[in-house]
Amino acid sequence: MSEPLDIVILGGGTAGWMAATALASLIPPTRCRVRLVESEEIGIVGVGEATFPEIRNFNHAIGIDEAEMMRATKAAFKLGIQFVDWGFKGSNYIHPFGVHGPVGMDHIFHHRWLRARNLGLKSELQDYSFAAQAARDCRFELPETRSTALDCAYTYAYHFDAGLYAVYLRGLAERRGVVRTEGKVQDVVRDPETGNIRSLLLESGETISGDLFIDCSGFRSLLLGKALGVGWEDWSKWLPCDRAFAVPSEPDELSPYTRSTAMEAGWRWRIPLQHRTGNGYVFSTGFIDEDEAAASLMRSLETRALAEPRMLKFQAGRRLVNWEKNCVAVGLAGGFLEPLESTSIYLIQVAIMQLVPLLPGKIVDPRLRDEFNRLIDLQYERIRDFLILHYKLNTREDAEIWRYAAAMDVPESLTRKIELFRHSAIIERYRDGLFPPTSWLSVFIGQGLIPESYSPLADTMPGESLISHLDAFHADLLDRVEEMRRHNRFIDLYCGAERSTAPTATEMRL
Amino acid sequence: MTRRIQQVVVVGADAPAWMAAAALLRSVSGAGIRVRVVELPTLLQPVDAYSALPELAGFHHRIGLDEDLLFSLCKAVPVAGRRFSNWSGAAPPFIHGYDRAPPPAAGLGFTQLWIKGRQNGLRTDFENFSLASVAAKAGRVPAAPKDAELHAAFGYNLDARAYSALLRHGTMRGGVDSKAGTIADVEIEGDRIVSVILDDGERVEADLFVDASGPRAALIGRMPGADVESWREWLPCDRMLVASAKALKPLPAFSQISAFRHGWIGLFPLQDRTAVVAVYDGRETSDQALLEDLPALAEMPIGGDAIVSDLSQGVRRRAWVGNCVAIGESAFSLEPLDGAQLHIVHYCISQLMTLFPVEAGAFPEAPLYDRIIRRLAFNLRDFQLAHYKLNRRFDMPFWDGCRDAPVPETLQRKLDVFTARGRVPLNDDETFQEQDWESLFIGHGLMPQSYDPRVDAIPEQEHIAQVQARLNDIVGLVEAMPPVDAFIAGADDQRGTEMTALG
Repeated sequence: MSEPLDIVILGGGTAGWMAATALASLIPPTRCRVRLVESEEIGIVGVGEATFPEIRNFNHAIGIDEAEMMRATKAAFKLGIQFVDWGFKGSNYIHPFGVHGPVGMDHIFHHRWLRARNLGLKSELQDYSFAAQAARDCRFELPETRSTALDCAYTYAYHFDAGLYAVYLRGLAERRGVVRTEGKVQDVVRDPETGNIRSLLLESGETISGDLFIDCSGFRSLLLGKALGVGWEDWSKWLPCDRAFAVPSEPDELSPYTRSTAMEAGWRWRIPLQHRTGNGYVFSTGFIDEDEAAASLMRSLETRALAEPRMLKFQAGRRLVNWEKNCVAVGLAGGFLEPLESTSIYLIQVAIMQLVPLLPGKIVDPRLRDEFNRLIDLQYERIRDFLILHYKLNTREDAEIWRYAAAMDVPESLTRKIELFRHSAIIERYRDGLFPPTSWLSVFIGQGLIPESYSPLADTMPGESLISHLDAFHADLLDRVEEMRRHNRFIDLYCGAERSTAPTATEMRL
Repeated sequence: MTRRIQQVVVVGADAPAWMAAAALLRSVSGAGIRVRVVELPTLLQPVDAYSALPELAGFHHRIGLDEDLLFSLCKAVPVAGRRFSNWSGAAPPFIHGYDRAPPPAAGLGFTQLWIKGRQNGLRTDFENFSLASVAAKAGRVPAAPKDAELHAAFGYNLDARAYSALLRHGTMRGGVDSKAGTIADVEIEGDRIVSVILDDGERVEADLFVDASGPRAALIGRMPGADVESWREWLPCDRMLVASAKALKPLPAFSQISAFRHGWIGLFPLQDRTAVVAVYDGRETSDQALLEDLPALAEMPIGGDAIVSDLSQGVRRRAWVGNCVAIGESAFSLEPLDGAQLHIVHYCISQLMTLFPVEAGAFPEAPLYDRIIRRLAFNLRDFQLAHYKLNRRFDMPFWDGCRDAPVPETLQRKLDVFTARGRVPLNDDETFQEQDWESLFIGHGLMPQSYDPRVDAIPEQEHIAQVQARLNDIVGLVEAMPPVDAFIAGADDQRGTEMTALG
């Protein structure tokens, strides 16, 4: 067998340690050796304290024990995202991690609900979402613990301390053979013939050479962007926010959802962890200046701040390709989309989990590279459209950014989705991409886009029985939610950061 | 609310028209929408057969068709796949079996384990790891419980006229109004059909017209912007002959597709006969010459009932224009190499149901239908084209041409990624899934050059055990499957019992 592939990861934030851990866990040392270069002098962005349910697949694949990870990262559960004031001032909905209505009926359920509404039923779509109702009620149970269809109708993600997650992964990665080198890159040495990256020259004088370089250097994109000169596709005309202030505050009610509140020049997040609440204001300098934004964030805190607000600068967009020559970008080095739907860590994960099966040999096979780039582009574009949707579908007229967003031209791929939903309540599906139709549905309806009509296939049941079916389903759902444990109680038992041991089976039993 | 669709008219004949009518009856007649069929003259001859993929079972379930009737009334034979012979020089035939997605082995796709095994000297051919292919070779019907981890399904060879009649009977009994006739004229205003005028002078009006007329494209063919993009540059066959031969005894559990100098010959076992199809390039051989060669090519005597027709393959730029929706071969057509003809029909119908127009005055659903149907068409075309592209019949101008010609970018990507790493990049609206493409590619001799590096994390003993376990599982499952004749007899018996019970 040939020599193992020497992989060099530049940057040790969330992206770098996720990549390192995955490579070291999934691919045997006979096939690859992983080195990671990072500098303690360079801060990490620590993107994404809020995650998407796909993170569970990643953790499972690399053999992470959930409760242990949650204890180490002071994590809590997440059943969805609450959007406050987005569609209009006073609006409030949850984008749940789960379907609306009974499992397996999502192709027709919302048509039936629309019809019932026309017949006079007063209800919200999310009244039929198990995840949304449990979230509102601050309750949580693992969906696997019971097997009835209703309880399988949801999944979950985490709120965790991304810095601690990186630390936790670093421990795993180093135990699994990843070699960490402390240092700052002074120069990137390239092969004059192929243009490939040959090695990184560190300020210490050390040279780190490799076959494949993974750029996890964050916004600076030192390898892909700077050394290889891969261009940037700017999406800021659709997603104008270009700054964020982040500040932790004292812990608060442990609600099992992320909250996103629309503000005068962007939006504010609230992410409850066990030991603190993460807060931040994502805004556009085109509509507010930095000092005002920081002050606005501090004023809005519900608990006492634990630090000064820290500012991040960014632009929405992505590199024209995420894999060029022998360099693959993972995370912010390859693109940025604001964390409105908690997709930052997902984008890291998807890059890693596409790279692993397509990992090249010592010479890059362009067929593997092209396939990787195609899949990553699809992911970015579909998430981009979904984020733009939140902005586009607002009817607030109280602030300039919202008037701008409502009036802006959006990508054709999105326009046609909005128009078809508006007219017919139909949602186009796709295979490769994060958000299923039920996610689109919750945002369409949540932002106030009630379709003009619904499918005639929903007209087959007599109106009265339709309404009594919906009422019965809703009542059943509420009963089940009431049987669930409080979220904070569940956390204490399952993964309380104070605990040092795993919960016993008796403790977990209801 | 704007005005709802009140009247749907299906224009066409044979299975496509009655499939559409049956589905409409089930889905929308309960909403007060009237369904009517204008039945055009049949395109079927006594020799014709439909060879359908297993997905047809799902359609039968939705329309409430008792499948036992296929075996008692439609001369049906269940088939576990298609065997391809003579496509690759001296290489032995291979079977494209109708497997469901196989379970992972040691957490990874089994194909990846096989690729590594092969590189390290594993002799067992890929198709021995296909439950359906092994069943097919053993003459067994994969009718195993669907909850088994390893699962395959059977497709159907059906007498085309009997199947159409069965659907027609069931649909008429369900209350669909029908009228037989031919089209004298179609009255179109802008992009909308106002009425279809029949030869007896009757004007048939509707809010929505479904064109199920097959390659005639009796309605969509007249609509603006719905012209056909030909696939001739990639798919050179332009003639099709159908005939019949005596029934095979015992019945095989697969259909047979053999390449010859100018195209291919298909043998489709039915209970009472074998349907014979030849698809070829008319520039390479004459109909007469082919007919003379046919018994030798098919290795059996051929009946005197052969019928030859033109074959044109391509897709309409738009399959839904105004209030006219084309389904099946009215939307796009391919040669019957992979048995997708009825699949296309019910896929189109199911999309029409999902996108059923919410009002009679506007059809913003149409562009999405067009995109979906075109994707379906491109994916199926690519699957069919791959047989030609990957042929290894050297020194024959027809086959050399097929092998050397460039293929569309969508297929090239699949070929590239598969060759490089043994993965199949699937698109939206794929009929054939990963396991089908793998079987096709490897069967035609395309061997991946490398495998997923995670496979190397599996210890060698574990790897060998996984491979052995898969073989054992398949052998065990196949042994429990009924032979074809027993399966057919069983279906008949069961029906008999039910009727007795009812009596």
